[in-house]
Amino acid sequence: MDFLTNLGTGFGVALTVTNLLYCFVGVLLGTLVGVLPGIGPVTTVAMLLPFSFTLPPESALIMLAGIYYGAQYGGSTTAILVNIPGEASSVVTTIDGHKMALAGRAGPALGIAALGSFFAGCVATVLIVVAAPPLAAIALSFGPAEYFSLMVCGLVAAIVLARGSVVKALGMMVLGLMFGLVGTDINSGIRRFTFGFRGLADGIEFVALSMAVYGLADIALNLEKKEENVEVHSRIGRVWPTWADIRHCIPAILRGTGLGSVLGVLPGGGALLAAFAAYTLEKKVAKKPRSFGDGDIRGVAAPESANNAGAQTSFIPMLTLGIPSNPTMAMMIGAMMIHGISPGPRVMTDRPGLFWGLIVSMWLGNLMLVILNLPLIGMWVKLLRMPYRLLYPSIVVFCCIGTYTVNSNLFDVYVMAFFAVFGYVCVKLECEPAPLILGFVLGPMMEENLRRSLLISRGDAMVFVQEPISLFFLIVAAGLLLVVALPGIRRTREEAMQE
Amino acid sequence: MLKIKAGKDFWSGIMFLCFAIVELYIARGYSMGSSGEMGPGYFPVVLGIVLGALGALLVARAIIAGDEPVAGASIRPLLLLVASVVVFGVTIEPLGLVLSLVLTVAIAALAGRQSGPLEIALLAAALAVLSVGIFHFALLLPLPIWPAL
Repeated sequence: MDFLTNLGTGFGVALTVTNLLYCFVGVLLGTLVGVLPGIGPVTTVAMLLPFSFTLPPESALIMLAGIYYGAQYGGSTTAILVNIPGEASSVVTTIDGHKMALAGRAGPALGIAALGSFFAGCVATVLIVVAAPPLAAIALSFGPAEYFSLMVCGLVAAIVLARGSVVKALGMMVLGLMFGLVGTDINSGIRRFTFGFRGLADGIEFVALSMAVYGLADIALNLEKKEENVEVHSRIGRVWPTWADIRHCIPAILRGTGLGSVLGVLPGGGALLAAFAAYTLEKKVAKKPRSFGDGDIRGVAAPESANNAGAQTSFIPMLTLGIPSNPTMAMMIGAMMIHGISPGPRVMTDRPGLFWGLIVSMWLGNLMLVILNLPLIGMWVKLLRMPYRLLYPSIVVFCCIGTYTVNSNLFDVYVMAFFAVFGYVCVKLECEPAPLILGFVLGPMMEENLRRSLLISRGDAMVFVQEPISLFFLIVAAGLLLVVALPGIRRTREEAMQE
Repeated sequence: MLKIKAGKDFWSGIMFLCFAIVELYIARGYSMGSSGEMGPGYFPVVLGIVLGALGALLVARAIIAGDEPVAGASIRPLLLLVASVVVFGVTIEPLGLVLSLVLTVAIAALAGRQSGPLEIALLAAALAVLSVGIFHFALLLPLPIWPAL
């Protein structure tokens, strides 16, 4: 059976000593940044992008992926013990998780978070194995028109599901597409928007842009806030939840996993949205919803399962279509490009070792995470006491060295400095940087596909509506835009985001 | 009473408009081609027009429907952070990794205002040693370590 041969290939790649080691490094780093407030997986993946260049592509992607889902585990620890979400996707976990910690039930809360995450991770891995090959097969038949419409649809969906103003998000996306066009035009050889700088001939360096926006600008914003004294509830108690707890949580974990898996696939989805939605759903279906908010264990189990499931299924569109659904996936695409792999449906057939190895490594990584987390929670708690004033200069150093070493080009360092200011201004104006990063990654591909489809149709723009698949994507995109423009739905969306 | 208060939406709109105008101004030098055979100017011009329209929409909406004021910004941490990055860029090649990082960390640490001189010195030294270990000895990246003589 294909299925088993594929998994065999995957295990062959993932079980080598080197790759196991990088998987371990990835999940360890992920847990670490998940635990530490003030530094998240996007920043970490951006910081490690330039160094992944020195690794074989398989090891690099395995490590970077480990950071992303590892952070989902780590984030819950901080949320439960300190009432600070170590990760944005753990915000909802603070509601019931911290209440449990106050009531002396920190152990079971941490335990159920880890077990729920592990279960969700396993299900999501199986889902990728089952869903990826047919999706990639469909995508292989796409022509340039289908691809262009798919990108439009993906970008629009990412905006609709993002927080804040839709107009601003659209603007940031278009701005991202523009930034993506800087550099030498592959068709005419003309250097566009380089302002005469030779350093921009190859375009704006992705690493410099992402580190500036997610690393440096973030630090500047964090430094404006007062450093809070971290109060850790170190009395954790028994980590293993009781049977009654587990039985009580099984439906919540199942629902969380299901919802998270679906939302992870959607553009703009991923871990954050999944966690919020799962918590809301649990509150709706619970017989006694009052107990939510006062330390209900299901309020920990559902969002923690959902965020891990979502983190993993968001790899599906990235791996099969080459479309990033969130900034971390954009980074993964950046990593592939650094290694000369063009993301898309061909990755599966051209580099089966990379594809299946990455997927199997996710399952192994989840196993490592349970082992890492349950017995070692005490150690992570100690790390929480690391003050930010010591942490952020290290991030600055990593960003500088990283950006410099990608091309050994000083110009990239100054580009990073410029975009740090830009990123700071954007956040101050409540313009989310995520659509910018997605647009930046897709910009050149979008122009190329638009150009090719119109070349084939001899300039007839009707080609996008005449091809049925392309038309479908455009209708979905238009529908989504229309939906958020309607005032009633806009209000519920705002309420849902605020909760 | 209609009172124009420039806030988040207003300035976002202005920012988008500025980018759009600069972009369109530069793109006027690239040939447009036709839709069947797009020149290098075609897609940028489309993007510039869309961005300009979105910017104008934001400004108009801010004036008509009101706006939220921009939260206070403190420029000092940002400026010092950017300065530390620029200093890294200026010094890495002539001074080498160790000295360059000491300067970078020292300036970056000032941005937070919470560290004393001794702590900054220790942190700078620790990060310099750690970076040489990681990037030079472990990852074998081609970085100059000491000033070129």
